[in-house]
Amino acid sequence: MNLRITETCITLEEGAETFMLLEKLLIPDYQNVTARPYITFYYKESETIWERFRLCMERLTAFCPEDPYLGCYALMFRRLYTLLLSSSQSKNVIAYGPSTDCGAYKVFQDFMTFLQEGSALTALAWSPYSFAALTNSASSALLYRLDTCPVLTAVCDAMEKIKTGGLLLFYTLRDDFSSELRPLLDRAEKDSFGSCTVYALTMDEFLSDFAQANSSESIILSRAEEIEKRVSDLRGLTQAMLAGASLPEDTYTITAVILQQTEEILLSIYDYLENDELPILANALKEAVLNYYVGIDGGHDLTTYREKLSQASEAFFTAIEREFQ
Amino acid sequence: MNKYNMCVIPAFPLENVQLLKDRVVFPYACFLAFGESLRLVTKKTGDYPYLSYLEGAQLVTLPEDQPHMDAAVSYVTDHINEIDLLFLFGARGEYIELVQTYKTLRPDGIIYLKLDTNIDWANALPLFDESFSSFLKNCDIISCEARRLQTLLYKKWQRPVEYIPNGVYYPLYPDAANVRYEDKENMILTVGRLGTMQKNSLLLLYAYALTFVELNEPWELVMIGSIMPEFQADYDDFCKRFPTLAPHIHLTGNIADKQTLYRYYKKAKIFALPSRAEGGSPNVFSEAAIFGCTVVTTGVDAAPDMTDNGRVGRISPNTEDIDGFAKELTALCRDPKYLARNFHDMRAYMREFFDYERLAERLHILVDLQQLKRRPS
Repeated sequence: MNLRITETCITLEEGAETFMLLEKLLIPDYQNVTARPYITFYYKESETIWERFRLCMERLTAFCPEDPYLGCYALMFRRLYTLLLSSSQSKNVIAYGPSTDCGAYKVFQDFMTFLQEGSALTALAWSPYSFAALTNSASSALLYRLDTCPVLTAVCDAMEKIKTGGLLLFYTLRDDFSSELRPLLDRAEKDSFGSCTVYALTMDEFLSDFAQANSSESIILSRAEEIEKRVSDLRGLTQAMLAGASLPEDTYTITAVILQQTEEILLSIYDYLENDELPILANALKEAVLNYYVGIDGGHDLTTYREKLSQASEAFFTAIEREFQ
Repeated sequence: MNKYNMCVIPAFPLENVQLLKDRVVFPYACFLAFGESLRLVTKKTGDYPYLSYLEGAQLVTLPEDQPHMDAAVSYVTDHINEIDLLFLFGARGEYIELVQTYKTLRPDGIIYLKLDTNIDWANALPLFDESFSSFLKNCDIISCEARRLQTLLYKKWQRPVEYIPNGVYYPLYPDAANVRYEDKENMILTVGRLGTMQKNSLLLLYAYALTFVELNEPWELVMIGSIMPEFQADYDDFCKRFPTLAPHIHLTGNIADKQTLYRYYKKAKIFALPSRAEGGSPNVFSEAAIFGCTVVTTGVDAAPDMTDNGRVGRISPNTEDIDGFAKELTALCRDPKYLARNFHDMRAYMREFFDYERLAERLHILVDLQQLKRRPS
């Protein structure tokens, strides 16, 4: 894949295929106010936006010669160009996916600074956790490499950082995504060339609601509710066991099922737990319940099994209370 | 409760002695508890006289002209509908293709992986390798042999890992039923390959010396196991330096005859485990414990499990601390009341938490729960 840069246009090329990225406008749009002249003006004393854009595109080719995402960067730059010129306000762009020293980031940052000194591109480290450090609805654009983390919660965490009217760009070399991402990608404008695809969306009320509903914060809250429901059942069940009540045989299996579900829910929000030993405490309680049941079933002395069950349930419920109350 | 057609496939061909070790004995206990059938699938390495202890189990020998695991994959492919529960032993790369094949052909089948590992080994597993991590994901139930390791794995793998210790299959130890505390002597016993880096035998020798001078009555130290030449030299040197101790230390060499070995377990009050590392609790610990020996151990991964957090044994945490080990040993030797009481407590603890028949019942429920998860709610 190559970038072909001429005086008047920039295209992506691969074999006989071409994709027009941008044409030089003949008539400048003076509604787009920036510190820089858009095209060559009468007293040509400084570089124009178009010239700088061409230079940046050249650098993109130079900085990312072997990068399979080169086409994606070019396609995104085309979308960003319009956004960056849309007003004279400084803009924050957040980028997630490649390593933070990615050559394309340097090019984007250069062009942004050229237009407006205060504009900043924030390259985030490779962890969906890095979104937690950013303020919601404070950035103008998101560049998100789907191949790095094609997980809805991470995508939504990132989306929440973008203000209304902001630009969401999701890029990828793949064409298969989990069904959870489909509702989002199906709404997007899609630019494809060769193996590169960029999905573009503008942040609006619908997307804002969608992001909020599927972000890790809301998932954690709903998971916490699920845990609380189960814990309430578990408390009753284990108390009945410890009281030595005569219980139907399937009580123990049901308790183990609920504990197994609790353990799995806890593991699904593992990164957000204050006490990272909660899942193992659930497992230990499950083990104690099953040992107790095996003891009953085999007609063995239950003293030690009951003691262990008591210890395990106390440890689990105390930790759960601390975590969720 | 359901019954299952079970199949054990080791990562490497089975040897006769392994038929009575965890990799086979636990699946066998499971077979007796909830099995329809049990097949041990392996390339032959010799005769298998111990198979006579495993009544009902079927040994399937794989063809000689293929590597073990290739032949095992072919076997699984050809007999897929006869395997409901597949037992694997060790998180080994050798299993990757087998697991993928089994799960592709039998998505409803259940794979149980007994890790048989220690913390260092588990920490070094190549989780970054996609095929390896997919192999682990495809194992429906994974268990490890020490709670400390279980905690590490939860944090590292973020998936359920059960704690199932290396246990005891009591029918193999009829002698353990008749042991009496009154028959025990002032004997400290250790069993293992003496002088290997792992077994750390020298620590016990010097800790014993420090203990000996603190005691009013003599205690004998019996060290059973093959002897590394370096250890023999250390031992000779030790005897020269402490000639009064020499008559009280007995190096028996390796004892292959189980009955002779059990006689030592019956006589010993204390079992010493000075190891630097163990994958779970070693078999020699289980054997000593069911014969009512009180264990004193270094802080190996399974130390808290072997001693019920210090209730039925003593832990000297630092594996290089001779003074610390001697202190624990001395305290035990000076406390005959504890040793007498603990004879019963230790045996009860083993029955309750290390009996493979009871552990098999627990695994049975876990397997049933896996089946339950697959049914539409």
